[in-house]
Amino acid sequence: MGHFRGVSSGSRVMQRRYIAFMLWFVGRAIVAASKADKDVKQEFEAFPDGFTFSLGSLPSGPRMVIQKKAPGKVRYLGQGKGEAIDLNLTIKHLQAFFMILSFQESTATANARARLFVDGGVPEACAVVRVMDIVQVYLLPKVIAKLAVKRYPVWSWRRHILGRSVVYLRTVTGI
Amino acid sequence: MHNPGYYDFFCGVKTVASHQALACIPNLLRELGASKPMIIADKGVVAAGLVAIVEEALSPAMPAMAVEDDVPVDSDVTTVHRIAKAYHGKGCDALIAVGGGSVMDTAKGVNIMVSEEAENLLDFSGTGVLKRPLKPLVAVPTTAGTGSEVTLVAVINDPSINRKLLFSSPFLLPDIAILDPRMTLTLPPHLTAATGMDAMTHAIEAYTCLGKNPMSDAFAMEAISLISKHLLPVVNQPDDKEGRLALAVAANLAGIAFSNSMVGMVHTLGHSVGGVCHVPHGTCMSILLPYGLEYNMHKSGPWTGELLLPIAGEAIYAATPRELRAEKTVAWLREFNEGLYKATEGRHSRCFKEVTTRDGSPAVPREALGDIAKTALGDGSIFYNPEELDFEDALMVMEAAWEGLPLDMDFVKTA
Ligand SMILES: [Fe+2]
Repeated sequence: MGHFRGVSSGSRVMQRRYIAFMLWFVGRAIVAASKADKDVKQEFEAFPDGFTFSLGSLPSGPRMVIQKKAPGKVRYLGQGKGEAIDLNLTIKHLQAFFMILSFQESTATANARARLFVDGGVPEACAVVRVMDIVQVYLLPKVIAKLAVKRYPVWSWRRHILGRSVVYLRTVTGI
Repeated sequence: MHNPGYYDFFCGVKTVASHQALACIPNLLRELGASKPMIIADKGVVAAGLVAIVEEALSPAMPAMAVEDDVPVDSDVTTVHRIAKAYHGKGCDALIAVGGGSVMDTAKGVNIMVSEEAENLLDFSGTGVLKRPLKPLVAVPTTAGTGSEVTLVAVINDPSINRKLLFSSPFLLPDIAILDPRMTLTLPPHLTAATGMDAMTHAIEAYTCLGKNPMSDAFAMEAISLISKHLLPVVNQPDDKEGRLALAVAANLAGIAFSNSMVGMVHTLGHSVGGVCHVPHGTCMSILLPYGLEYNMHKSGPWTGELLLPIAGEAIYAATPRELRAEKTVAWLREFNEGLYKATEGRHSRCFKEVTTRDGSPAVPREALGDIAKTALGDGSIFYNPEELDFEDALMVMEAAWEGLPLDMDFVKTA
């Protein structure tokens, strides 16, 4: 029994670390895509200045906070530093969060299975999910992204190749 | 059975269904430790004589202490505050909501105020803010459609900040739902048809969208079967008491199904047609239902196909090859709408260009379709739809539903 216990708590720590890393990665990718992708740019344009949203897990798991500072200026604020959050997307438990961020399950499916809580405006939540979908298509190879989004989009090769390299570059370098 | 891997299901409402169900209220309230109920209703319900029937059923065992009958068409915070004050003033200890969605929502709001002794309803908006049971609430629906007697949400307008407040908590579920066919007996045929199709849509979307689970499926199947069997006969013969009871039961079952597994794009688009053009919800549902199923066919076709059994019956189901059942289901629903159109002498619309306002002018101008498609992108039910629905998709579906032509499947993006 002790053996099993060790394994499960060990994998929990790994899950937590993986989630923390993915949040950092996806968070920065959202910022990058807000500059490089026209659809993501448009979604952010519709948000009011100062609009802040977070994605995290219960009870006090890792999360990421993103803020639209001003037109064209989107910031990744890490775990957040006490900002007022306009829209809180919360996944019920760490395991479910891991399922989503390891792309074994789409955000839509998670929501359908009632593991995603939306606290804030529903139209804004819809916009954030659309942004996440686009970012996933940028970041992931097609075979994996196909599992993560409902419908893999038909994009021009420019958007796929050029857009992807720009989003990647900006994600990693943070510019 | 479809195994979703994970699901949760809850319905904590005691349901009483019978031709005399109202007579049970005093005993049921007494079991909950209450004896001084307040009735909440709207003017339409009073004018139809329904509040009088409820009052008669209550007295002499437990006469209503107060009747508040001016709930507006869209529930609002001011009304909730005012009724809560009256509740305290009259020394009430339970609520009986008689009406449709707006009355139910208002009653839920009042219940928050009086149970939490709140100063301001706003403090309790959001998900899961409530932490303990509220006062006994009895829901008496007066349409067989919305299912709001079994939902755990309330939407209440706050005109001062021009926002719709959403309240969501298991504690908002009514304690008791009373399904008494006397409450729907006087509903005119075209409203019976539209509200019945709303219930049908709840059940069908619960069965075919992403939140599908084995328990909701069971409720949805029975609801679809009852509505298919009884809606047209009741529209043709409004005083069919057995049929009325069956429809009330069906709407209740459908309500339980969709409040646990949610709805999809038929509601996504329907909500925005309602929002932009003020078309009644049930009308939007009956028009859009076949389109939603067509659009999602490549994803949820097998489930749609299974619905041919409760919709068309055993003989037709058995005679239709498996791969054709989904299309047959859609065709059958279109025929069903056609039947309702004839039975209501054209008052049940088959497409959006047929829908008119009270003064006879078109309710959905073609130019509004773009606005409708745009609004749809901000509706939460879009999450639960099997296929993605972007602006172009929404517009394409709306255009077809406006004209009344089947979807051109070549334009449905499947990859
Ligand atoms: Fe509905």
